[in-house]
Amino acid sequence: MTDARTLAYINLYAVLGTLENLCELDSKAKEILWELKKPVTVCFDVKGGPAATIRFTSHGCRMEDGKKPCDILIPVASCEKFNGIIDGVVTPIPVKGFSKIGFLLKTFTALTDRLTELMRPTEEALKDPAFFELSTVMTFYTISVALAQIGNQDKIGQASASYMMDGDISFAIKNGPAATLRVKDNHLITLKKPAENPRAIMQFDNLQLANDLFNGKVNALECIGLGTVEIRGMLSMVDNMNRLLDRVALYLA
Amino acid sequence: MSKFPEYKHDKSHEYFNRAIKVIPSGIYGHLGPAEGLWVPVSKWPFYSEKAQGTYFWDVDGNKYIDFMCAYGPNVLGYNDPDVDAAALKQLKLGNCTTSPSKVMVECAENLVDTVASADWAFFAKNGSDTTTLAVMAARAHTHKKKMFFLKGFYHGDFQWAQKIDYPGIMPEEVANNVVVPWFNLKALEDAYNACDGDVAGLIAQPYDHGNFKDNEVASKEYWQAVRKFCDEKGMVLIFDDVRTGFRLDLQGSDHYYGIKADLICFCKALANGYNMSALCGGAHMKATVSGITYTGSYWMSAVPFAASIACINKMKKLDTPKMFREMGTKLTEGFVAAGKEHGFDLVVSGEPALFYLRIANDDSLMLHQEWISECVSRGLFLASHHNHFMNAAVTDEDIKKAIEIAEDAFSVVAKRHPEIKG
Repeated sequence: MTDARTLAYINLYAVLGTLENLCELDSKAKEILWELKKPVTVCFDVKGGPAATIRFTSHGCRMEDGKKPCDILIPVASCEKFNGIIDGVVTPIPVKGFSKIGFLLKTFTALTDRLTELMRPTEEALKDPAFFELSTVMTFYTISVALAQIGNQDKIGQASASYMMDGDISFAIKNGPAATLRVKDNHLITLKKPAENPRAIMQFDNLQLANDLFNGKVNALECIGLGTVEIRGMLSMVDNMNRLLDRVALYLA
Repeated sequence: MSKFPEYKHDKSHEYFNRAIKVIPSGIYGHLGPAEGLWVPVSKWPFYSEKAQGTYFWDVDGNKYIDFMCAYGPNVLGYNDPDVDAAALKQLKLGNCTTSPSKVMVECAENLVDTVASADWAFFAKNGSDTTTLAVMAARAHTHKKKMFFLKGFYHGDFQWAQKIDYPGIMPEEVANNVVVPWFNLKALEDAYNACDGDVAGLIAQPYDHGNFKDNEVASKEYWQAVRKFCDEKGMVLIFDDVRTGFRLDLQGSDHYYGIKADLICFCKALANGYNMSALCGGAHMKATVSGITYTGSYWMSAVPFAASIACINKMKKLDTPKMFREMGTKLTEGFVAAGKEHGFDLVVSGEPALFYLRIANDDSLMLHQEWISECVSRGLFLASHHNHFMNAAVTDEDIKKAIEIAEDAFSVVAKRHPEIKG
C-alpha cells in the first residue's frame, strides 16, 4: 500500500527536485533554460502536504524547502491533486504570476517532459550509452531523495527509520553519482553530495548494475554476495535503508 | 610482514557463482553473505569441505579455528565421537518411522532431569518452531492477545517474529507485538497499562545479545523482578534460550538467573548439530500445549534424540558452561592484549561463552570489519557484528594460535592505518 501524502512528498522533493540535477547535467535541459531572460521562481504549496520553491535561471535551478517569495504560486488543494499534476491528469492553476504563465507552459513543461523521458525511458532509448548513463544518474538522485521522504512520511518507512542510528550513510555508484542519507533522531535528510565521514556505505559497482537494481532486474542481496554491491560500516543502517529502497520501488513504480 | 599468509577462495567463489543461479541469494540467512557479516566478501570462505573438533576446512582447503560454531550448534566439537556413535547406532535402528521411536521418551526424560524449569519437553526442528509454539501457548493459556518483546529482539524469522517493514510481512501479522526496552521495569508496567492488560506474555532472550552493539548481561535481580511482574499480571514468561541454552547453565538460562520461566526454548546446543529443537515448560503449561495443533514431518525423527541424550550427558560430564566461561575469558583477554599492542581498543561484552567483540576506535565498525576480515582470511573465523560461540573441543593450543592470528591481523590493519598509534 502506498499513501498519497508520502507520494506527494516524493513527487515534489524527489521527482521535481531532480530538475536540479537535470539542469546541471543534461545538455538538452541547458538549451531549454538558455532561453530564460530573467530568473523565475515557482512555488508549489500542497495543502496537507509538502511545499517547495524552485528558482530557475538560465544556468540551472535550485529547490528550497517551504513556501518562499515567488513569481508563480501554485497552491494545490490536496496531495492527491498534486500527484495528479505530476501524472499529467490534473492541470496546475497558479494564483499568482499570470504574466509568467509562458514559463510554465513552455520552459517548465519542456524540462519536466525531458525529465519524464529520462525517468521512464523506452528500451530503445536506453541503447544509447549517453542516454543510459543520464537516465540512471537521474534515477539515482530521485531514489536518493525518495529514501528520506519514505523514511519520514510513510508509516512502514517510519518503522525502518526508527531503527536507524544517527549518522551519515554514503549511497553511491562507483565512479558515478553519490549522495548522503543523513539520520538524526530517526529523521532522514538527503544531501546530493558524497558523504565526508560516513558511518555506513552502500556502493554499486557500476551504472549498469545500479540500473538493473533500480528496475528490479537483480536483487541487492545477491549482489552483496557477488561483491558487486559493497556494504561497510554500521550495516544495520544499510539494512534499514534497504527496506526503504524496497518501498521506493513501490512508490516510483 | 604478515606471519599468516592470506587465504584464497577461488573454489568458494566458483560454487557461489553456481549457487546464485539455482538458490535465492546463493546462501540465504545467517550462514551467507546476505546478512552483511562478511565485509568484504572477498576475504571469506563461502562453502566448507569438512570439519573436525573446533576446526573446519573450506572448499579451497583452507583451515579455520571456528568461533562461530555453525552459529551455535557445534557445542562439543564437530564430529564428536560420542554423539556421532549414539546417532549412528540409532540410525541403524530407525530414524523417521511411522510410530516414533522410544528414544523420544528417553530424550524428554533426559531434558526434564536436566532443565530446572522443565516438567515436559515438546520436540521440533528449529528454534523458530519452538518460539512460535511458545507464543501460541501463551495466548492459548491466557486468552490474551498482545505479546511483549524486548528491544533488539530476535526470535527467529517466522512472520510474527519479524518487523513491520520486512519484505513479505503484513502489518496485521505483527500488530500485536509490543516492544519494550531492556532493564526497565517502569516501561514494562507502562506498556502493560497501555494495553489495558490484554497481554499474553513476554518473550525474551536471557540477556541483550543483539547485533551491532555491545551485549549487555542481565542480573538475577532484573529477572527476579520480571518474574514477579509476570506472576502479578498473569503473563507467561518465555525464555528464548535458543542461542544461549546450555552454554550459560546446563539447567537452563532461567536457572542461571535464579528464576523459572514458564516456557523455555532450546535448539542450537541441544544435539551438537543434529537437527532438533525443544520447548520445555512447567507442569502448569502442559495441558495448554497438549491442546495445540502443531507438528512437522521430521519432528519425531529418532537420530537427533539419541544425539541429544549423548550430547547433554557429555556436557554434564565436562561441565561445559564452566569450561566455556574460562576459555572465553582467556581467549578474549588475549585478543584485547593483542589489540592494545597495536593501538586498538577492543571491547569485549556479553557472556564469555558467547563473547561479542567491537573495536571502539571508530563508531562505524569499519575498522572492526577490517580486523575481522584479516582474521578470517588467515584462519581465525570470527563474525563482525554477532556474538561468538565457544565449544568444548577448543584447546589451550587453539586459543594460543587464535590470539597469534588475531595479533597478526591487528598488525596488518595497523599498517594500513598509521593514524592508530600502538
